Order: sequence, then structure tokens, then C-alpha cells
Amino acid sequence: MNTFADRFSTTTAASQLRHAQKLAEEEEFDATMWGSSAGFGSLTKGVPTFTVPAVPDPTAFLRLHTDDHADPSCRIKIKHGTTTLAFRFQGGVIVAVDSRATAGSYIASGTVKKVIEINPYLLGTMAGGAADCQFWETYLGMHCRLHELRNRERISVSAASKYLSNLVYSYKGMGLSMGTMICGWDKTGPAVFYVDSDGTRLKGDLFAVGSGSTFAYGVLDQGYRWDLTDEEAQELGRRSIYAAGHRDAFSGNTCNLYHVKEAGWTFLGNYDISQMHYEGPGDVPGAPGGGYGYDIRVEGRNSSDPPEEAAAA
Amino acid sequence: METSFAITGKGYVIVAADTTASRSIVKMKVDEDKIKTLSPHLLMAYSGEPGDTMQFAEYVERNIRLYQIRNLYALRPSAAASWIRRSLAESIRSRKPYAVNLLLGGYDTATHTPHLYWVDYLGTMTEVPFGAHGYGSYFALSLLDRYHDPEASLEEGLATLKRCIEEVSKRLVVAPGNYKVKVVDKNGVREVEL
Amino acid sequence: MSIMELNGGSVIAMVGKDCVAIASDLRLGNQALGISANFQKIFPVTDRIYLGLPGLATDVTTLRERFRFRVNMYTIKEEREIEPETFARLVSSTLYEHRFGPYFIEPVMAGLSKTPSGGYKPFIAAADLIGCLNFAKDFVVAGTASSKLYGVAEGLWEPDLEPEDLFETISQTLLNAVDRDAYSGWGCVVHVITKDKVVTRTLKGRMD
Repeated sequence: MNTFADRFSTTTAASQLRHAQKLAEEEEFDATMWGSSAGFGSLTKGVPTFTVPAVPDPTAFLRLHTDDHADPSCRIKIKHGTTTLAFRFQGGVIVAVDSRATAGSYIASGTVKKVIEINPYLLGTMAGGAADCQFWETYLGMHCRLHELRNRERISVSAASKYLSNLVYSYKGMGLSMGTMICGWDKTGPAVFYVDSDGTRLKGDLFAVGSGSTFAYGVLDQGYRWDLTDEEAQELGRRSIYAAGHRDAFSGNTCNLYHVKEAGWTFLGNYDISQMHYEGPGDVPGAPGGGYGYDIRVEGRNSSDPPEEAAAA
Repeated sequence: METSFAITGKGYVIVAADTTASRSIVKMKVDEDKIKTLSPHLLMAYSGEPGDTMQFAEYVERNIRLYQIRNLYALRPSAAASWIRRSLAESIRSRKPYAVNLLLGGYDTATHTPHLYWVDYLGTMTEVPFGAHGYGSYFALSLLDRYHDPEASLEEGLATLKRCIEEVSKRLVVAPGNYKVKVVDKNGVREVEL
Repeated sequence: MSIMELNGGSVIAMVGKDCVAIASDLRLGNQALGISANFQKIFPVTDRIYLGLPGLATDVTTLRERFRFRVNMYTIKEEREIEPETFARLVSSTLYEHRFGPYFIEPVMAGLSKTPSGGYKPFIAAADLIGCLNFAKDFVVAGTASSKLYGVAEGLWEPDLEPEDLFETISQTLLNAVDRDAYSGWGCVVHVITKDKVVTRTLKGRMD
């Protein structure tokens, strides 16, 4: 029913693609530009343009070959599965993520960087399509810098996230997949915004995104207070990622922890989730000592309740 | 959506299940008891396909009772769990399987030890220190990994259960409103108010 | 979602010099959600035969009960212990009985069989879910990490390993393969079977 409207409208996904295709056919930029523009050769026209498959409906074509939910044997498996979290508190923003990338049941990598350092004051997290997040958040970084040059002041977290939100919304329906938290410190203080490829943008204190987010929420909500100390907050972020890495098959390997303060973000460390299970995160502020694992934590304790005389015997 | 939890503690098992009976988008009843007392020291929380749940629970209840009448003693928790698991495993390959998920909490009076079994509609069974069914499990299990104590007193155990219920109410879109909570220990089965 | 991937889990068996080893992970999951880190998939059949049952967890328990019953019946009727070769046929025919509604299990067997001269000979075998037997001379694998296990085992296994070296080889193979599989892991258990004893060790594995 919508095909007729699609063909002649100038705002739908299909028309955007037609436009992109036309630009690509003009070949005004060649492959060498990719190298000379720091990998952003597609931006030589000022706006990103992409080559698209030469079929009547490129979006459907892409979905046919990448949708592994509907068809597990599809040709191209886009990497899924993640746990990322970020929360605001008295001392700034804590950002913690896991590092696993899976394609089907195969763990494709255990060393993925899911925090994208947009600039010294802004962090973005990565869930959904890894390439989508990496590309658009780096692209966002370019625009944040341009904003600084034009306006002689840093972009607010709110404005940066709105920019990204509008950007991905313009591609709605074309298969972008991202769920990200844009975190930073601006004139208003610490800020966290959730932005996803549906076009949702939410301001909030506490978010977790990804397949393991429910497990992270379970620990995070119970330990969260606004007046957490820096050490307590860092520990809570680490502990929540551990919880998700443990229970969720598609999250795990290591936890990357960042703390955003007034002077910008600092990277606090990379913690092995299995090591946290058995031994804890090591000698770091806020750690209670000992492994996080349930079996390790309750070792030697049991629920049996023999009466006094039986216990003595 | 249906949610049930169970946690062990020092000499007891707490079993909690929500009390809503729904059909389509309508709540038909808000005080339905979905925890059956199978024997003096055995509780079973059941959830799943409406109709199957009650039919299967009553079938199990009557058969466990029959065993007790015939033998003058009740099945121990592990034996009862094995029998129930087998009933489900046979059912799953029948023409009309029961789609029922269970949490079996019992107190073994011979060894003075509480036992908790996680059983699903396929007949998968495993003994756990704490367990959950439904979407609530995605929030409660990580929380229990962090807060559960196998030697907790009943008050501490109920406090942990409250944490689970509060967390699920906070985060789950279709969270149930009310829960029925029962405890089994050396004195038998009783209902408790949260 | 494949029914073979519902609960996750993997098993591997290897031949050594006058010994065999069989190992599995300990995870029980419900798709991505981990339920238990203590779910045994390998069971003793006799003093010299072990059986691994990776696949759908309900069938792990059902088949374990079924094989226990059938092996007991065999022992009573024949008044002797079952031999690994015979047991493999029993496994195969039990599975083929359910040809048109199979148990979703790919069994792996490891044992020592008696030779006419009174010695013992290593025996391993695997079957698909309807009972097609595969007698291998080196190693057999099954479960959600099977493709990864093949890769690592091809690289690490060598002939005539002593029991301790075989233990090391099978342990490293399993631990490293399940680290690349989302549905397997959460600890491992290894059994090394020699003519006078079976050594069982539980290994710490990655818990994520």
C-alpha cells in the first residue's frame, strides 16, 4: 500500500536511499579519499553518503541477509549481545561496559572496546551494531569539535546527544541498530542521555543497555544512591557488569570502567570478569576483597539445620 | 506476566508466587494461590499455560497424597521432585503436553536440610540455592547472586525476597502486583505476610 | 532457536595410551540465561565405561535413567558387566527406537574394553541423535561447542598420551573451546579412565 507513496515521496527511507544511490553513481569521490579523510571519505560532500546494493529495495535486501533473529542461517551475522551501563551520582558519571562480541553462539571477540571516547569530556557506549555505533559516535565527535570552533565553547551533553539522535532518526527504517548512552560533564554538571536507533532520546540518572542489562539493573538498582562516594560508585559499576557477564551468555570477558568528572573522563581499568568471580577485581578502591562469585562468597556456608544433639553427634 | 521466586535459608525454603490469574489482557483474579502444599514438608509454585497449571498441580497433589496414604510416609523432596520431573518429561512427548514451570521447595526431615528444585515444562530439573521463573528471573537472579545467604535467618530471607519483588516491580513493564509467600521448614508449611 | 542449543553444553572424549578421558562443561542454561553451574552431563555406566549426554537437558536426565535401567537389566540377565562395544550398540538402538520423535542428545562414550588376552583396549564412540555410531581412534566431540572443540583438538591431540598428559590435553582442549562458545562453560569436569582406577577432577573455568 505504501509503495506508491514511497516512490514519489522525498522524505521516506526509500527516497533517501535513491538520493544516496544517485550521489554514489556520480562517483565524485574515489577510493583514495577514504585514506585522505581519516576514513571519513564518505563525508567529502559534507553529509555522509553510502553506496547501496543495486536492487529495487536495498533495505529489504539487507534485512534478508542480516536478520539472524528470523533466520539463524542468514549470510551476514551482525555482532550482537552486550551489557553497558552508565549512571550519574554526586561525584560525576560512572560508565562501565563488558567486552564480548558474539555472532550466533560464537564468541567472535573478548576484547571489544565498547566505550567510544568522543572527546575528553564525552563518552559514548556501544550496544547493537558495533560498526554503526563506532562510525556515528566518531562522526558525532567531529561535529562536537566543529561546534567548539564555531561557538568558542564546548557542546553540552544534551546538544551532542540530540545531534546524534536526529542523525540516526533520519536513517530510521534502514536497518541502523544502536543503543547508546552519551555521558559527559557540561555547564549543568554530570549528564547521561540514552539514545537509540528508533529515535528515542532520554535524559536520566541511570541506564543499562543490552542483552545483559536486566542482570545489571538487578544489582545496580539495589546499590544505587545519589550520594555514593567515588569508590562506592566505581565498585557498583564493576559489580553490575560482573553480574551481567556471569548470567548472560552474550556478555562477559572483561569490564572497562570509566569515571567522568568535571575535568573530563578518566579510564580506571580493565577487569577480567572471570577473575572478579574467583578473586575479585584486585587491589582497587571500593572493592570488598574476595571474589564476587556466589559459590566463592558463600563457601563453607550451608542451609542444613540439624538439631543440637544431631549436630553434636 | 507470571513471576515466581524461591530461596533457601538456614533450615527453610521460602516460595513466593504472584497472585494474578490473567486471560488475554484482562486480570481475571488478583488473589489466586499458585503455591500448592504437596506434603507436610513440600511446597510447589506453578506457572505457565492457564488450565494446564491447575490440572497438572492437582494431578501431582493427588498422586503425592496417594503415595502417602499407601505407604504411611511422605516422599522426601528429592524423590518427589524426580517423580514430578518424570511426569513432565513424559508429558512433553505426548499429544497434549502440560506447559507448566515449577519451583519445588521442601524440607528433608531425615537430613534436616532444605531443598529447592528448579523444574521447567520440558522436564529440565536442577537443584539450586535460589530460583525464579518468568521474566522476573532476569532481574532477580543477578540480585540473588549478590545478596542471597544460605545461612540467613527467616527475617533476612524475607528481606532478600522483598528486594527481588521491589526490583521486579520497578523494572518489569508487566510486573505483577501481589505475591503469596509460603515457608517450609522443620515445623511444616505456613503462609507468611511480607 | 535450535532445540539443541536451548540448554547448551558440550562433551569431548579422547584416547590415550591404555587410557581414555571424557570431559564436559557444567553449564545449564535457558537460552542466554545461565541457570546452574553444576549440571552433570557425564555419568558412569560401569567401572570402566562413562557416558556423556550433551543436548536438551530434560533428555539428559531421561536418558540417564533409561540407560541405567537397561544396563542393570543387561547385567542381571547376562550375569556380567556390559562391554563398551555392546553398550554403544545399546545406546544406538535406544536412540533409533525414537527415530521419528528423537531424544535431542548426541551421546559420547568412553571406556576400556577387555581383550581376549586379558588386557584392556581404549574405546571411544559418539552417536548422532538417532543413533548413527561413529567409532573414532583419536577423539570425538559433541554439543554446542563441537565445531570449536574439533579445531582445538585437531591441534592439541597426539597418539599414545600417558594418563596425566591426556588429562592435560583434554582439559586444555575443552577449556579453550568453551571460552569461544556462548552456550558452554561455567566450569568443567574431567574423567580419566585407566585399567585400575578412574580419576575425576573438577576444573575451574571462566564463569562468564
